[in-house]
Amino acid sequence: MKKILVANRGEIALRIMRTIRKMGIKSVAVYSEADRHSPHVYFADEAVCLGPAPSSQSYLNGEKIIAICKELGVDGIHPGYGFLSENAEFAQQVTDAGIEFIGPTPEAMRIMGSKLAAKESVKKYNIPMVPGIDHAIEDVNLAIEVADRIGYPVLIKASAGGGGKGMRIVEKADDMQEQMERAISEAKSSFGDGSVFIEKYVSSPRHIEVQVVADKYGNVIHGLERECSIQRRHQKVVEETPSAIVTPEMRERIGEAAVLVAKSCNYVSTGTVEFLVDDKLNFYFLEMNTRLQVEHPVSEMIIGLDLVEQQIRIARGEKLGIAQDDIKANGHAIELRVYAEDPLNNFMPSIGTLTRYEKPSGEGIRVDDGYEEGMTIPIYYDPMIAKLVVHGKTRTEAIQKMLDAIRQYKIEGVSTTLPFGTFVFEHEAFFSGNFDTHFVKNFYQPEKIREKQKANAEVAATLAVKFWLNKQDELRPVENKSTSWKRRLAH
Amino acid sequence: MSEIPRACKVKANDFEFTIDPSAVMQADIIQKSPTDFNAILNHRSVNARVLESDVTGTSLKVEVEGETFDIEIRDHLHQILDQMGFSTVSSKHIKHIKAPMPGLVISIAVTEGQEVKEGDRILVLEAMKMENSILIHADGKIKRVAVKAGQAVDKGQVLVELD
Repeated sequence: MKKILVANRGEIALRIMRTIRKMGIKSVAVYSEADRHSPHVYFADEAVCLGPAPSSQSYLNGEKIIAICKELGVDGIHPGYGFLSENAEFAQQVTDAGIEFIGPTPEAMRIMGSKLAAKESVKKYNIPMVPGIDHAIEDVNLAIEVADRIGYPVLIKASAGGGGKGMRIVEKADDMQEQMERAISEAKSSFGDGSVFIEKYVSSPRHIEVQVVADKYGNVIHGLERECSIQRRHQKVVEETPSAIVTPEMRERIGEAAVLVAKSCNYVSTGTVEFLVDDKLNFYFLEMNTRLQVEHPVSEMIIGLDLVEQQIRIARGEKLGIAQDDIKANGHAIELRVYAEDPLNNFMPSIGTLTRYEKPSGEGIRVDDGYEEGMTIPIYYDPMIAKLVVHGKTRTEAIQKMLDAIRQYKIEGVSTTLPFGTFVFEHEAFFSGNFDTHFVKNFYQPEKIREKQKANAEVAATLAVKFWLNKQDELRPVENKSTSWKRRLAH
Repeated sequence: MSEIPRACKVKANDFEFTIDPSAVMQADIIQKSPTDFNAILNHRSVNARVLESDVTGTSLKVEVEGETFDIEIRDHLHQILDQMGFSTVSSKHIKHIKAPMPGLVISIAVTEGQEVKEGDRILVLEAMKMENSILIHADGKIKRVAVKAGQAVDKGQVLVELD
């Protein structure tokens, strides 16, 4: 492979291109009119504008992307995450055009892309699953019937969904109508497929996923687990590895289950098998993400593999150079997703210009971002600014390093999830490892952040007054200066 | 020694404090450099930096623990000027529902003149690929619907006016 097009934007496009360059391969960036000034465009060897800002007219325009590849002599496409990354038709068109799709086969994407087909596929391997209905429904009355049978609360999920989109919790029958309508409409507009299904909502669930890596010759290994339970709106904000609750024995079992899930669909490339873990440490297969995950850097930090490099090597037909026994956890890694959102206002998107943007740095600190000072966060895409990732010898060390890194990270112009991160990493429940996906609901108190801001504001105000008093002193004639006393004494 | 100014009002972002300059002069604050300070306040050791300041030192930007605060110091004289009545705060009670975030109006569930009850859905707003139902928090009557389906709105833009 000599030239790879990255069909994505922002931090992930930049991160992928770094590895491409490291491997001595040329990179091609694509961008929308809103992203002309993005670092991924500056970094690439070649760049092509796809069209107007909305993703449907730019980053989702598969035909145009393939045409660009032909024109520029591109031999591989890396889709990143989101956009076209899990679109089986696109992967098929890419393959048919004689270009290598750096990811799984269209067939594996089709199976795992439909949660229902995925359940069917893994059935024969005796992998535990959450109780629910195993076919798509649109009928509200049927939904209520199913919910009565498995018991409230239930979860409505889009069959084609992911990343928490198209997912609704229903606590009682009265809410079913509204929630079904919203879930179906959201599924239609986000995924072009309105089918939803219902399953039991596991209380106190933890979200633990396993990284898998598979080559084209049936060799599959797992790259340990990631704990992703700290979420808001069912979307992850904090991820870490290893998980504080996974025992070596459970790690082996959950890892084996993940490998079997990958084998069930003849998986190729890197992928992630997601599990729900209940309070008794039983795990249930949720879904498989057939792409590079947002949170892949935490795994890279503890297993010492560049997962994008692995994807490229696998795509060009190399065998896995590592065996399961080579995978050992080195230390502990934590990631905080830095979103342009206001943690004091229900995590509402906070759009604006980055009037100040200074990244933290130091040993064991990694920042994957796609922004620079002065850039504006566009409303058209996901509001993630960066991923702040730290590595420490122990979990405690990693937490401390994270808190330091957050203090060093200077972002002004928009609200971000950084103060939320501080709240999480200072919280007793996170420190002890005793938390689940309801962390935000159970423990998060925005007023604590507010109190802390107030305390810091008071210090700032006090010191400002000190500064002002000194300045007033300076502005007076020399003979009236209080410091002149000291000078006289010193002579 | 010059006279110490009387208590002043200090704004730090959206917080406001009344600070007595004589207390500040007695506090344990060390100036490490022209812009760097260390203070021990209630046994807490805090470092702060003055990032920007105007000539008079009443309008500043101060950083504490990674957070930046825009500071305005209003001394006694300023406060008297304020009290003499140039402030123009008058609270009108127009009731309207504003967009809590920028986004795209997907559908509108109400019409002008309609009576609505607390919890009724007004419209659906899509932002960052999420559909959000905008509900009403009180009973009322729709006076005007200010947006159309398919319209992009800014944060704070009026969506619906109520009688």
